[in-house]
Amino acid sequence: MNQPAIRILVVDDESAIRRALRPPLVELGFQIAEASRGEEALLQLRASVFDAVLLDVNMPGIGGIETLRRIRAFAPRLPILMLTVRDQEEDKVKALDLGADDYVTKPFSTRELIARIRAAVRRVRAPIRAEDAPIEIGEIRLEPAKRIVTKRGEAVHLTRKEFDILHCLMSRAGRVVTYAKLLTAVWGIDSREEVEYLRTFVRQLRKKIEDDPANPLYLQTDVYVGYRFADAQTFMDETAAGAPEAAGPEAGHEEAL
Amino acid sequence: MAVSLVATLAHWSQWLLPVAILLYLLIVVPTALLCGFWQAVIVSLSAVVMHSYYTSRQPHFDALSNTATDPINSVTLLVFVLVALTVSRLSARVTGHARESESWGGQMHDLYEFTRRTLQMNLHMEPGPQLAELVHEIFALEAVAVFDADLHNVYQAGYWSVDPLEMAQNVYYFETTDDDPESGLGRRVVRLGTVPVGSLVVRGDTSSLTNNAIASLIAITFDRYRAFANESRIETERRTEQLRATVLDSLAHAYKTPLTAIRAASTGLGEMGHLSAGQAELVALIDEQTGLLSELTTRLLTTARLDVGEVAIHASQVGVGSLIEEVVASLRDRLASMKVAIDIEDDNQVVNCDRQLMLMLLTQYIDNACKYSIFGTTITIRVVHTNAEAIFSVHSYGPVIPMADRERIFNRYYRSSTYSNRAAGTGIGLSVARRVAQIHGGYVWVTSDEVEGTTFFAAIPAPATKRSSI
Repeated sequence: MNQPAIRILVVDDESAIRRALRPPLVELGFQIAEASRGEEALLQLRASVFDAVLLDVNMPGIGGIETLRRIRAFAPRLPILMLTVRDQEEDKVKALDLGADDYVTKPFSTRELIARIRAAVRRVRAPIRAEDAPIEIGEIRLEPAKRIVTKRGEAVHLTRKEFDILHCLMSRAGRVVTYAKLLTAVWGIDSREEVEYLRTFVRQLRKKIEDDPANPLYLQTDVYVGYRFADAQTFMDETAAGAPEAAGPEAGHEEAL
Repeated sequence: MAVSLVATLAHWSQWLLPVAILLYLLIVVPTALLCGFWQAVIVSLSAVVMHSYYTSRQPHFDALSNTATDPINSVTLLVFVLVALTVSRLSARVTGHARESESWGGQMHDLYEFTRRTLQMNLHMEPGPQLAELVHEIFALEAVAVFDADLHNVYQAGYWSVDPLEMAQNVYYFETTDDDPESGLGRRVVRLGTVPVGSLVVRGDTSSLTNNAIASLIAITFDRYRAFANESRIETERRTEQLRATVLDSLAHAYKTPLTAIRAASTGLGEMGHLSAGQAELVALIDEQTGLLSELTTRLLTTARLDVGEVAIHASQVGVGSLIEEVVASLRDRLASMKVAIDIEDDNQVVNCDRQLMLMLLTQYIDNACKYSIFGTTITIRVVHTNAEAIFSVHSYGPVIPMADRERIFNRYYRSSTYSNRAAGTGIGLSVARRVAQIHGGYVWVTSDEVEGTTFFAAIPAPATKRSSI
């Protein structure tokens, strides 16, 4: 593919992490700029154009979350991936709610990171899809206008709420939708805390759309954060490679519900 | 002397009898007040005799008409004697009461002083020696012995002609409480409530009530000492634990950055390609081991936080079915080669708990079962409900856990000798499981038997409730 090089700003106060990321990313055709503080990142973003930002949550100074908020003020569509640690689920949710596109959990593999960056950039570069346009990911097809869902061409009977959940997730495929966001979108703001109720619906939904609900391919869980519908590109890659690959989050590190 | 003087004066001055009697009374009353009843009686009778003697020696004395036969003088003298006796009696009584009150006041003062000093006592040291010295000093006793049954020591102060050890112990063992006025010994069992905790033997001038009060104050001091020692021990343990947790927390955080850099670098090498098969394998090994180290670090971090109570509990209504499903799904790689059976009594049952923490607990149990179960046997995950609890259990067939280890394996860093050589482990996981259960007000236990297999249980308080709808 003859795509222009992706320009990434890596923002992390740990030079070891920046040093470890630079060689493989450069080797794979990315253009890299570095910043060790949020304040420095903001200056660079105002001075140059980037396709994506890797932003550490824990940094001295204004920190990752505040940096994210300030970036979003002038660059609402710039893909931003947060670098987080495993025991900081609240930060992940906060970052996603503030407009982060995705997050990767330290220690991450470079492969996972690159896949996430590419997916985020691809979503931004993709033409804007019409609200009612059908969505097709893997073998699942959802037609919002007709409220129809099919799997391998066969209709899947969903309740109204199940359809709404699926629609919400598929229209944001590849991205994590936090529990609160999903609950608000489907049931309204008053139900944003009812995560257990949502889990019940997702279990039912998985039974209808997944071949193996205990090992879901499409409807994945980002533990303690939310749900993510597999990215369409994953299935295209699989078809092209002819071999299955872990969809979305790195297999073995993210648990499914 | 005074009586003779008054009688002589009365004789020479030829005072009338009432005047002389009033003067006699002035002598009798102070005598009663200062010396006592019988002394006043003697003085009164002396006055009557002296007065009669001088009256009989008067020149115009007519024994028959003026004294013995004069009824007025006789009645006056009789009244004087009666008044003197009554006043003497009353005075003596008042004096006695005053002395008694003074004595009680002194004892009260001593008891107050003893209470004050025991409250100020240094509880870092054994209380027995200090108490014996204080009782001896404050109550000015000849000898004191205090027996502390808990420490099984007798402490003495003052001079004992015989060793009081046996005597003090006997008072405790035979529960003897008495006062012997002859020997001046007072014996008391020191009790906390009804429980004997020691004894007190004193020799000297004290009252029974004072001895009782001293024994009670000694009991209270023993109790304070035990409570203080216990509190100090708990506080020391807590501080040690907090320090250890802080160190663990710092270490775990410090490890995260290098681990991230190592993993990013090793996986980056793989992504860059150009590696020979051998190089690729080595890179994969680095990646795999970094993953293990990372997992261990995360676990250490969580343990440290659980121990110092830093983990915020996010309790919510969690469906038992989805909880088990989630934990099994998260361990699907590990369980791939195992037979797993899930037995949930009621799929719709909900438990009010922190989902994340409960996942940790169950993950630990299942992970343990994976490590130690015999290949080809089934791991059974079961949830049953009683009226007040949800009981999660993970059953597997593996080596029997010795009875002596069944409690200790839930202690941190403890590894059963049965297991230590069979599988990798840190001895942290089960302590996390116990802590999680405790945080929820529940508890854990294990049963292990060659025939029945090994089952790890966790009981979490859960009043029977079904899922509600929104």
